[in-house]
Amino acid sequence: MNVIEINQLSKYYGKARGIIDVSFDVQEGEIFGFIGPNGAGKSTTIRVLLALIYPSSGSARIFGQDCIKDGPEIRNYIGYLPAEVYYYDHMRVIDLLRYSASFYRKADKNRIYRLAEIMDLDLNRKIDDLSYGNKKKVGIIQGLIHQPRLIILDEPTSGLDPLIQQEFFNLIREENQNGATVLFSSHVLSEVQKLCSRVAIIKEGRIIGVEDIKALHNNNYKKFKIQLAETVSSDYFNIEGVADLTVDENNHTFLFKGDINQMIAKIHDHRISNLIVEEPALEEIFMHYYEREA
Amino acid sequence: MSVLSMIYWTAAIILLLLMFMLMYPALSQDISVFESILNNFPLELRQALGLTTLNLSQILGYYGFVFIYVLLIGSIYAIKSAMAVLSEEPRSKTADFLLAKPVSRTTVVTAKVLSVLTQLAVQNIIFIGVSYIIMLVYGRGQFNVATLVLVNFSLIQVQLFFFAVGIFIAAVMKKIKTVLPIALGVVFAFYIIQMINQSINDPKLAYITPFAYFDVGKIIQNESYDMIFLGINFSIIAILTALTYLLYQRKDMPSI
Repeated sequence: MNVIEINQLSKYYGKARGIIDVSFDVQEGEIFGFIGPNGAGKSTTIRVLLALIYPSSGSARIFGQDCIKDGPEIRNYIGYLPAEVYYYDHMRVIDLLRYSASFYRKADKNRIYRLAEIMDLDLNRKIDDLSYGNKKKVGIIQGLIHQPRLIILDEPTSGLDPLIQQEFFNLIREENQNGATVLFSSHVLSEVQKLCSRVAIIKEGRIIGVEDIKALHNNNYKKFKIQLAETVSSDYFNIEGVADLTVDENNHTFLFKGDINQMIAKIHDHRISNLIVEEPALEEIFMHYYEREA
Repeated sequence: MSVLSMIYWTAAIILLLLMFMLMYPALSQDISVFESILNNFPLELRQALGLTTLNLSQILGYYGFVFIYVLLIGSIYAIKSAMAVLSEEPRSKTADFLLAKPVSRTTVVTAKVLSVLTQLAVQNIIFIGVSYIIMLVYGRGQFNVATLVLVNFSLIQVQLFFFAVGIFIAAVMKKIKTVLPIALGVVFAFYIIQMINQSINDPKLAYITPFAYFDVGKIIQNESYDMIFLGINFSIIAILTALTYLLYQRKDMPSI
């Protein structure tokens, strides 16, 4: 079953491009990555899903219901963490979280304390006095109190230190195992790689691909870093299947997809002083992807 | 927060009234001198200030003269509160918090509208009560209570006009950074229209300012409201409020 169905969604701000013809589905129970550079349209897409802005054309459905028309009803089951967190400054953290919980039918206020402990957040401080990272924690908790069936996270990790980030990822995984579907937007590929099963890639307002993370990895790209002991022509390794070839003196670096023996044979013909073959980071696969699409 | 603001503004209105009324006993003894000074002012100025229709030698006339300033302050408070409450989310950047909750935009507007209306109602109850006591003390029974009530009830009606203008502006404008300058500008614009209206006596101008709908001098003279203006005021409030609901429903909340 699809939890989110986005169908040819477009949003223009006056004449400025927001998103164009965005379509993708998120299935129940998955952690779905939504990735693209800043300004590509991730937040715009998400804010249409929450009816914070109105689509210029197209539609989006959540739990099979229209996200604009049935918005108030479906938002009962959505937890949302905005990209930028701003709350009522004069309130204390605990007051804000209680206020937030009061909107939902199914909010267990005891969860506030559990979540605050996991995220290491002092509930008695004033919002005004919180650092950016701590405000982000407030945002995460207010999005999870009511055990939402769909969790929408817009750039959730910015401002969180690595330790808390890890706790946060564990928390999201736990929610996911308890049945929540997650839409996770980010411009940092490594975190999407850690968490997500599928990913939509957005660029300049358009979806340029929806990929399986595993399939991307199994794409059999290998990253070669070869330091030769002798000089060869700079396009020596530029054979079929090689991408992103850079040559710096005798250091040759590239991505390779194809018969590995072929490459070993090429290397074997020369004396080498160092050789590293590794899994490329998704980032590099994507960079390649972006360039191809551009 | 907004309750505190309501208390301050109500106190300001009452203090203003009290200060002017404290002067009344002294003033009423030398009223002929005072009026002759005023009569040296150009006619247009006296008309603009509403002095030609108000009889200052009577306590109710004097009260009416002061009441114009009560109306001004009350109007500024009404439009300011209305604009502030409906532009709160874009201004404090909390739209992504509040409007992502399972509430409809209509519910949000209604809650906001009711909160301001409650404050206006409380303010008016306090003002009407206190002003009656002040008048009892200084008027010594020499005024028509029914007329005083009529005058006093024009406050809430003018406030409702500016309240409707305020929520409408907040719904139309993308983002309001500071409320008070706009509030002051709008109220004084309507008041200046009324001053021009009184000084040139152009009947057409009267149709576009609530200060003419509830012209204190005429209310005291006729001991009644002008029913046509009453209807116009009500219609404008209804239309602007309805438009506000429609516009807010489809409003794009600015991202930060």
